[in-house]
Amino acid sequence: MKRIYISLAALCLCIFSSNAQNISDLIISEVLVDNDSSVVDDYGNRNGWVEIFNKSQGTVNLGGCYLSDDRNDLTKSVIPKGDLKTKLGPRQVALFYASGNKRQGTFYLGFRVHKESTIYLTSNDGRTLVDSIEIPASLPADMSVSKIPIDNKQMVFVTSGEPTKPTPMSFNESGNNETKSQKMAREDPYGLILTVVSIMVVFSALIILWFLYGTSGDIFKGKHKLTKKMSGKNDNEKSREIAAAISMALDAECNGEVYAAIAMALDKYQENTVHDMESYVITIKTGKSEWSSGQLSFRQLPK
Amino acid sequence: MDQIINSLSQFWQFTGFCNMTWQHLLMILIGIGFISIAIIKQWEPLLLIPIGFGMIIGNIPMFPGLNIGIYENGSVLNTLYQGVKQGWYPPLIFLGIGAMTDFSALISQPRLILIGAAAQMGIFGAYLLSLLMGFAPNEAAAIGIIGGADGPTAIFLSSKLAPDLMGAIAVSAYSYMALVPVIQRPVMLLLTSKKERNIIMPKPRQVSKKEKIIFPIIGFLTTALIVPSGLPLLGMLFFGNLLKESGVTRRLAVTAGGPLIDVVTTLIGLTVGCSTQADKFLTGNSIKIFILGLLSFIIATASGVLFVKFMNLFLKDGHKINPLIGNAGVSAVPDSARVSEVVGREVNPENHLLMQAMGPNVAGVIGSAVAAGILLGFLG
Repeated sequence: MKRIYISLAALCLCIFSSNAQNISDLIISEVLVDNDSSVVDDYGNRNGWVEIFNKSQGTVNLGGCYLSDDRNDLTKSVIPKGDLKTKLGPRQVALFYASGNKRQGTFYLGFRVHKESTIYLTSNDGRTLVDSIEIPASLPADMSVSKIPIDNKQMVFVTSGEPTKPTPMSFNESGNNETKSQKMAREDPYGLILTVVSIMVVFSALIILWFLYGTSGDIFKGKHKLTKKMSGKNDNEKSREIAAAISMALDAECNGEVYAAIAMALDKYQENTVHDMESYVITIKTGKSEWSSGQLSFRQLPK
Repeated sequence: MDQIINSLSQFWQFTGFCNMTWQHLLMILIGIGFISIAIIKQWEPLLLIPIGFGMIIGNIPMFPGLNIGIYENGSVLNTLYQGVKQGWYPPLIFLGIGAMTDFSALISQPRLILIGAAAQMGIFGAYLLSLLMGFAPNEAAAIGIIGGADGPTAIFLSSKLAPDLMGAIAVSAYSYMALVPVIQRPVMLLLTSKKERNIIMPKPRQVSKKEKIIFPIIGFLTTALIVPSGLPLLGMLFFGNLLKESGVTRRLAVTAGGPLIDVVTTLIGLTVGCSTQADKFLTGNSIKIFILGLLSFIIATASGVLFVKFMNLFLKDGHKINPLIGNAGVSAVPDSARVSEVVGREVNPENHLLMQAMGPNVAGVIGSAVAAGILLGFLG
């Protein structure tokens, strides 16, 4: 019994630990130094900024982590704890203004960003380096240095070799914006590959259906080995017997009313007025007419 | 007096007469033509009348900025058009089609499914031709789907792949669907001998209720697992069919196959018609699309017929398939099956092919939805 409890506890631990926040999933995704026309902060100033991206599928709390531009002083600017906005959801970004005045708010850094420097993101223990990004000396104004995804599925990022157009507060798209259609035009200009593959897929799908319906049909018809074993007689034999029994019963018992009912059902079926949309079923529904209407048979009350 | 003249002059600027161009007039005449064909010839009236009248509505020239045009954000027509643009009318129509369609003919003779696959060659033939005519792959795929002879699928795919061409593609698809008897008959006669047309096929067996209930579940799982991108169409088609065949959701099936599909068909037809504003519709591309659409129907019909002849090479006497049902592999339900019946009876009045042709016909619906899913997966 103890083993079961221990196993359950271990399982719970695994589940909770897998959902727990992982600071190592944070990256410094983009940095802009000279801000002439990019975003304005809450105080109306155009500062440089640092963007942090959560590449995991879970929520990560930035609170307590540090940003710095000095390798020897990794705790230069702390991100305050207790602010709900520091919780980054999956694939979300946070933008920190490098105003040099930490007291301006949660999302303001105590230093300014400069070219030819490195920005460090440090874990809340103040020692573990989570990520860093180098700012080149040649970074033009209003251009940023950013990390772009080379594998969107695995969330693998590399620093872009060239300055990029700033995209604050949004996921950095990879430089390769080629659409599927453009890619297809390049790789298969005459469309032959797509055509052959598509025809094969259409045929495969319908051949599988053919096989499945064929097999199920055999089972229902009684031709399949299994059903043959289960019942000695097949459906055709049974239906012939039933038909013979019905005809004998009709011969013996039927009067004109039965024939009239069958004739009326067929007539209604041909008119398509009472058929209830089921195959092989003819239903006679009682329709309302002046003869059967209760309302019309009432006498008018005297005024 | 001057004020009155000025006011009248200003009013004149707002009228359609003042803003009318020959292109608008041409489109209005085409709309009237659609309505006339629908009423006089009774070709696809449920579609051609809404589309035709939509063309007239969409081509009333108007002063811009009144927020009433179909392309003006927030207008009533624009709101209704979102069902086409965002692609949620076609799956609703597929729900209704599923709820109305009896797949017994297909279940009883599963080998006929392959004809539904072969007829999809029309889609890919038109795709190749469109590329040769200079269209981009996504546009070529949207044009190619006209060959599926399935209006909702054509609208669904073109709204995803080539929204700019959607009006021309939808009108082309529905026009040729209305002209199925005219287009298919000569192709069928050309490709078959009198002896082949006289082949009498065995009657389809009776299908049990259990088989009908299992059909949509197996069909959906198989096709959707192979082509998940076709999920909106395939899911709704088979769901609608399950509503019908389960026997316990009669009210839902009746609603889906009756009032719901009627409402959506009216809206889709009207808004597609409205979207053919002269300035967006009368272009060189539209003419190319109409030519390619016609070719795709011809290729699809020929492929279906020739494929049956190919199948017959491997079938014993008594099990051979009449090639006249090959045309029904396109999914214009039930018009193309009706063409098989009519052409078959011309040779032998006793040879009824309608039920036989319904097999490939409904297989064509599945096939074109699968093909649309593949194209969307590759190019979407």
